[in-house]
Amino acid sequence: MPAVLRGRLAAIAVLAGFFVPGAGTSLHAQTAAPSDAVVYIIYPHDGQRIRGAFPVRFGLRNMGVTHAGDTTPNMGHHHLLVDVQEDIDPNEPLPTDKQHIHFGAGQTETRLDLPPGRHTLQLVLGDAEHRPFKPMLISKKVTITVLPPRGRRAPQTSRAER
Amino acid sequence: MPGESTSHVAGSPRRLAAILAADISGYSRLMGADEEGTLARLKRHRRELIEPTIQEHYGRLVKTTGDGFLAMFDSPLEAVRCAIVIQQSMAARNMSLPPEQWIRYRIGVNLGDVIVDPDDIYGEGVNIAARLENLADPGGVLISGGVYEQIKNKLVCGYQSLGDEKLKNITDPVRIYRVLPDPASVARATRQHWVWLSSGAAALLILGAVGWSIMKPETSEGGRRSASLEQSADKTSASGLLQAESSSSEPQSTSASSAAGAPSGMPPAPAAPSSNLPIPITPISPSPGAATKTAPSTVAAIPSPSRPTDTGSGSSIRDCQGCPELVRVPGGSFRMGSDEDSSEKPIRLVQVSAFAIGRYPITVAEWKQCVAAKACPDVVRGEDIDPARNLSWLDAQQYVDWLAQSTGLAYRLPSEAEWEYAARAGSTGRYWWGERMAPRMANCKGCGDPYDAHQPLKVGSLVSNPFGLSDVNGGVAQWVADCWHPNYQGAPADGAAWTEPGCREHVLRGGSWRNDASYARSASRMYYDTGVRYPAHGLRVARSL
Repeated sequence: MPAVLRGRLAAIAVLAGFFVPGAGTSLHAQTAAPSDAVVYIIYPHDGQRIRGAFPVRFGLRNMGVTHAGDTTPNMGHHHLLVDVQEDIDPNEPLPTDKQHIHFGAGQTETRLDLPPGRHTLQLVLGDAEHRPFKPMLISKKVTITVLPPRGRRAPQTSRAER
Repeated sequence: MPGESTSHVAGSPRRLAAILAADISGYSRLMGADEEGTLARLKRHRRELIEPTIQEHYGRLVKTTGDGFLAMFDSPLEAVRCAIVIQQSMAARNMSLPPEQWIRYRIGVNLGDVIVDPDDIYGEGVNIAARLENLADPGGVLISGGVYEQIKNKLVCGYQSLGDEKLKNITDPVRIYRVLPDPASVARATRQHWVWLSSGAAALLILGAVGWSIMKPETSEGGRRSASLEQSADKTSASGLLQAESSSSEPQSTSASSAAGAPSGMPPAPAAPSSNLPIPITPISPSPGAATKTAPSTVAAIPSPSRPTDTGSGSSIRDCQGCPELVRVPGGSFRMGSDEDSSEKPIRLVQVSAFAIGRYPITVAEWKQCVAAKACPDVVRGEDIDPARNLSWLDAQQYVDWLAQSTGLAYRLPSEAEWEYAARAGSTGRYWWGERMAPRMANCKGCGDPYDAHQPLKVGSLVSNPFGLSDVNGGVAQWVADCWHPNYQGAPADGAAWTEPGCREHVLRGGSWRNDASYARSASRMYYDTGVRYPAHGLRVARSL
């Protein structure tokens, strides 16, 4: 896993606790993550071929999952990136749209129904304000192939249907 | 002006008045095709639209005839505003109907001396109004020179001189002006009389620019521009004028192309303008120079001291000091959804009752009042007229609950159907102005200037829609009352919110400044965890009437 894990700005993590969540600009200091924390996708596996809707299970080691807005150190929440090619801006809250799905309630799995074809999945852990940690906790990108349903019309594209 | 303001015979029941005469174009045809249906719709819009609108403009409905009505006003300005609002609203109502069922008024307004009876009015002043009405295009408004002289500096509209006309049975020729729905018709018009007043005082405009454009819900921009003038102008006063021009010039190209062939003042066929625009609006930001080039003298941008009540089609409501400004949205039906995303299907007809909705998203200043009352969490930062953001659905709900409680009025979050209906304002395309993104229309990623990647624009920075709503495309995504459902299968058709207790996710509409243009479409839907705050999420309130 290319989880680049360094940096131990504990002081900043503490400071971040005093920030009012959100509404900030990019001037906020990033929240520090433990150097040994790892975020990863438990399921599906890289290269897997799947038919129909499927679950995605989120893995996190050496940190805790909490809801967004909680500034307790060493905790965060998941964001699932579907078919996202662009780099993540470390200073901005992670976007929310059909390709950046937020799990601010502290969810650790979801269900996706993607159109047939190749897709990539990637997890990013966000802090209380949906910003990436420093260092960024981002999973390895998993590529899967969704097969067309047997004898049926292809499902409509919507990650929304979870 | 001949035929006006001359008589002062003491003791006689005469007075000077602005007369508004209206009749339905093609009434016999409508009745022939569907007598009962036409009559039912006629009665309904009379009750819901004509009568209240006349009242709101301090007028009096003198009498109704089979296919028309006669109203009198003390003020010619109010009379013309009333005419415009009626035309706009009728056009909006027509949008949901096939063209053969459209009810379209022709309206004439004259200022003249009349003899007032308890249930009728007489005199040349009335006759001239009736003649003007006869000459008007369906959906159009003609005014006499006398009216024009009174309103030309006060009402943000275009006026096209049709010259002096000899009217049937009227001794002196009457100068006639057409009130122009949009600059595009001006470009086509051969002789134009353009009043081009600078908006030097733009900074203080809270003027009621009448969004005449609703006349052409899909295409015309006049009203949007005028409605937007007040807002764009006071945000960036230095360039207020340029903004006004550029905002008008963009949409103008659309209307020029799509409305081509349609007589000015006449709503084009609803379907056509959205789908076949030969000249699309380009998402390229126009330089002020370019803007001026395309719209040199077409806009009569006149700072007017008028009340906010006059803006757009919906009149304004402010229930208390510090309460959000609302616009009245007329009831009607519309096609909700689109084919662009599975979440927006199936498209279905939804009936919405009249309601009021926030002209802008709730602002930071408005949110802070709730905080000060200890009814809302102190989680919002920014300047006073920034949209309040970083709100969860629960926060938004708390705000409307507080507002309802403190005013005793039925404040609430809009239903998803109401939100889309209000955002569409009679339009059927991707955006209320058409199919293409254009500068100064939306606050989203890649949607043109003005844009700041770090925060949304202040409320009211962009052109408002024909109902008078601002910031329905991008900016902050807005919570609505509905629980999230992945599509409209099984959704209610009566405009009510689709909810079930304890749902984990709620719907957000309008997209945010961080999303691209596809999220800023009228039909676009998003969702988010009910209890989770996000810095791009805010709200717009609604209130039942």
